[in-house]
Amino acid sequence: MTNQGNIFLTKEGRTRLEREFAELLRLKVFKTSGESPRIFHSEDINPEFLAFQEDMDLLDARIIELEAILKSAQLIKPPPKDQQNLISLGAKVIIEIDGEEDEFEIIGSLEASPSLGKISNECPVGKNLLGHKVGDEVVVGTNPKIVYKIKKIKY
Amino acid sequence: MTPFIRFFTEVGKLRKVPRRGGVLIGSKSPSSITDHLFRVALMALVFGREKKGNLNMTKVLEMALVHDLCELYTGDKSPYDHNSILPGDKKKWPELFDRWPRLTTSEKKRKSLQKYKSEGAALDKLLKGLPPDIKGEIKNSWAEYEKGLTKEARFMKQINRLETLLGALEYGREEKIRVYKSWWVGSKERIDDPTLIKFMDSLAKEFPAKD
Repeated sequence: MTNQGNIFLTKEGRTRLEREFAELLRLKVFKTSGESPRIFHSEDINPEFLAFQEDMDLLDARIIELEAILKSAQLIKPPPKDQQNLISLGAKVIIEIDGEEDEFEIIGSLEASPSLGKISNECPVGKNLLGHKVGDEVVVGTNPKIVYKIKKIKY
Repeated sequence: MTPFIRFFTEVGKLRKVPRRGGVLIGSKSPSSITDHLFRVALMALVFGREKKGNLNMTKVLEMALVHDLCELYTGDKSPYDHNSILPGDKKKWPELFDRWPRLTTSEKKRKSLQKYKSEGAALDKLLKGLPPDIKGEIKNSWAEYEKGLTKEARFMKQINRLETLLGALEYGREEKIRVYKSWWVGSKERIDDPTLIKFMDSLAKEFPAKD
């Protein structure tokens, strides 16, 4: 969800959505002409494309959604050199929690994929890590208290 | 047996497939996959409506119903099942459950891909023989959920996490099983929807941690 009204995308994320947008526009043309586009032969196909093949309303809704995202999304850029000691959007952070290390990338909600270490800047952990530097201990929640120690920040 | 009878009979068996988390922490009556799917769907209905038309509720509810059907053949897997990290001595398990299992970036990718492939194959097995349109609809809905590419899928993944957290808190209250910290850690790294964060915070008040 894009909870706060601000949409943030990485460069890769923006490219992926632009590609999807272009493919869906092409699909719409094919659908109206009654042909089947080559894209359906790809194994990497976005599952939604298959549904779009059957459902014109769904296709239109996704095109409108993507258009709105691409129009308003802000690109995540690394901060100036003198601020790269602090965690901001786009940072790759190595943290220590309960004696174990993990690597997070702090990104916008739209691209978050926690099982792959891509943490949303709007979830309690992502939100609390923002603005902190190496050596800081960040406490998330009180019941129970979860402590993240920041070991490394890179951009 | 017609394909529909076979499909619904197979899906009915999910009533007897326990959720892995409940089994691991020693619950005497762990909830089943069916229990989980039912409450996930209800939570999606209730919290989804609060998004005031921002979500396609048909897609949300479809995902709620089908996202774990594949577990009939794969079984439910907990984060602790990857790489067989559970020690043979069960007495050592509680210490492990307080920590969310941490993986390297490449392990995370590999695990995610393995899960996608095995669950996809299991779902194909379950859907075998059904008319192509129904089969396609269920498979697409599952794949959309797994890939988490749409707002509906991301919302549903968070609902899934929240239902799991609520289940853990209930085990704690009803069976006096300690609520391990990892239930909370996993949730606070995954849930970013304001409505769902509010509900998670209310759970923390309702079920205070006892260390």
